[in-house]
Amino acid sequence: MELLRRQLLDLFHTHGYRYVIPPMLEYVESLTTGVGHDLDLLTFKVVDQISGRLMGVRSDITPQAARIDAHLLNQQGVTRLCYAGSVLRAQPSGTAQTREPLQIGAELFGHAGIESDLEVQQLLVHALQAAGIAKPHLDFSHVAIFRALVESASIAPQLESELFQALQAKDASTLSELTKSLQASIRAALMALPTLYGDARVLDTAAEQLPSIPQIQNALGELKQVAQQFLAPDVEVSFDLAELRGYHYHSGMVFAAYAEGYSSALAQGGRYDEVGQVFGRSRPATGFSMDMRALVNALPPASGNKGILAPLTEDVELRSKIKSLRAQGEIVVVELPGHEQHRAELDCDRVLVKNDKGWEILPAA
Amino acid sequence: MSQITIALSKGRIFEETTPLLEAAGIVPLEAPESSRKLILPTNRDDVRLIIVRATDVPTYVQNGAADLGIAGKDVLYEHDGSGLYQPLDLKIAKCKMMVAVREGFDYFGSVRSGARLKVATKYVKTAREHFANKGMHVDLIKLYGSMELAPLVGLADAIVDLVSTGGTLRANHLVAVEDVMPISSRLVVNQASLKLKHAKIQPIIDSFAAVVAQQD
Repeated sequence: MELLRRQLLDLFHTHGYRYVIPPMLEYVESLTTGVGHDLDLLTFKVVDQISGRLMGVRSDITPQAARIDAHLLNQQGVTRLCYAGSVLRAQPSGTAQTREPLQIGAELFGHAGIESDLEVQQLLVHALQAAGIAKPHLDFSHVAIFRALVESASIAPQLESELFQALQAKDASTLSELTKSLQASIRAALMALPTLYGDARVLDTAAEQLPSIPQIQNALGELKQVAQQFLAPDVEVSFDLAELRGYHYHSGMVFAAYAEGYSSALAQGGRYDEVGQVFGRSRPATGFSMDMRALVNALPPASGNKGILAPLTEDVELRSKIKSLRAQGEIVVVELPGHEQHRAELDCDRVLVKNDKGWEILPAA
Repeated sequence: MSQITIALSKGRIFEETTPLLEAAGIVPLEAPESSRKLILPTNRDDVRLIIVRATDVPTYVQNGAADLGIAGKDVLYEHDGSGLYQPLDLKIAKCKMMVAVREGFDYFGSVRSGARLKVATKYVKTAREHFANKGMHVDLIKLYGSMELAPLVGLADAIVDLVSTGGTLRANHLVAVEDVMPISSRLVVNQASLKLKHAKIQPIIDSFAAVVAQQD
């Protein structure tokens, strides 16, 4: 897992993403304002013995990265940040889910256009491929569609949240109950949303079935551009217009990655433009993150190189030999006295043996 | 190619699902009542059925052990249903979740006077929400079966349970006094399966939907 972590961070590094290490513990207000509003119940809290204020253990690094961009870096142009670290969840996100995911991700701040969305999506695909997932499956949606419907019909917050839940579950019968009081065109659109999933053809269907509110047409336009971008056979693309992951802070296109062998989404991300505002500076933002533990679970175990066992001697020749082998990236383990019977635990398949030609590497007995 | 696994429970749900499966061209090769097998093959190589307890269906589907499942709304509500798609109300295995009390017990009077009732139920979450929405203070007692017994032996003042014909209630001198919610079975789908196996799952959902629409 550590190897993969380094690999992914190196990949982000080569794309120009700067690595940040946000604090584990912060005042609760900093963790849960804006982007973190959904995170309040997920955050473990402790009382600070110095100030008497409530502090929280981070349950998501994304808002921390947003605050670093808005507050600390203060760049006017584009900022690219990446991070990797443990987060704690006061409640597991499901059965048999860890409460300590190892979150790794990348965020891009300061650009509002679709180009930056495409950049982070491409980066996610590269990252998944680097992790060994041959054919990632990306699923796209756009929260502006539901938001535009809610605004144009002036739906009350209580009903909005019930509609949101029904849409998340694609629960058509509950949705039909809830929309009884709404005007016909909005009702038809809301009822259509849970059926609008599948390949790029659903975008055309959606253009016909959804009302021609400008925000909705824009959103569909953006999704079409994405569809054209990922034509390559090594990525599968689908759309699901009822998917509203992170609806409370996302503002535009959202996406999730799936793969064969995983029963839930591997990575998720999207655009969250207004989040920086509560930190003093509204900056366009988009990015993704994933849990490395979940990712690693279904990958074949890493077949790392086995080591070379060396005896403990004062031999100068052996010392320089070991040094050069290590410089080549080999693992060389020196056997400490008294542990000859536990050799198997050292995971070495070769040994350094002295013969008349000098020190030589032979297969382990 | 990839296989589709459908999780079902024995009994009423299985019986009422069989016609739906047939409409989708899926015929189980063995009957769960006579077979002791838990994995039932079907006429299609790429589709199999697994027989699990009704309350376990959402768990199997959520974790991807099954791609599709059929579960009552009662079960889904208790399970919290999150992480699952419920695209279709199959309108089978219909019944009602109701509050019932012993004959002669003045339920509405107790509610008005603010009495703190003891309520026995298998559906703790559903009951808690129902009474909380009414602003009632109740003590919940979790039972795993034979709820009807609780008011008779003084364990509880009321029960929250599924009622289909009312026969069990009558036989035990109980009366249903309040509806909690109507119940029917839903099709549930694993989220990742719907994305990754869309081409295989969508026709099954569509043919189920066609049968349900016909019955309306």
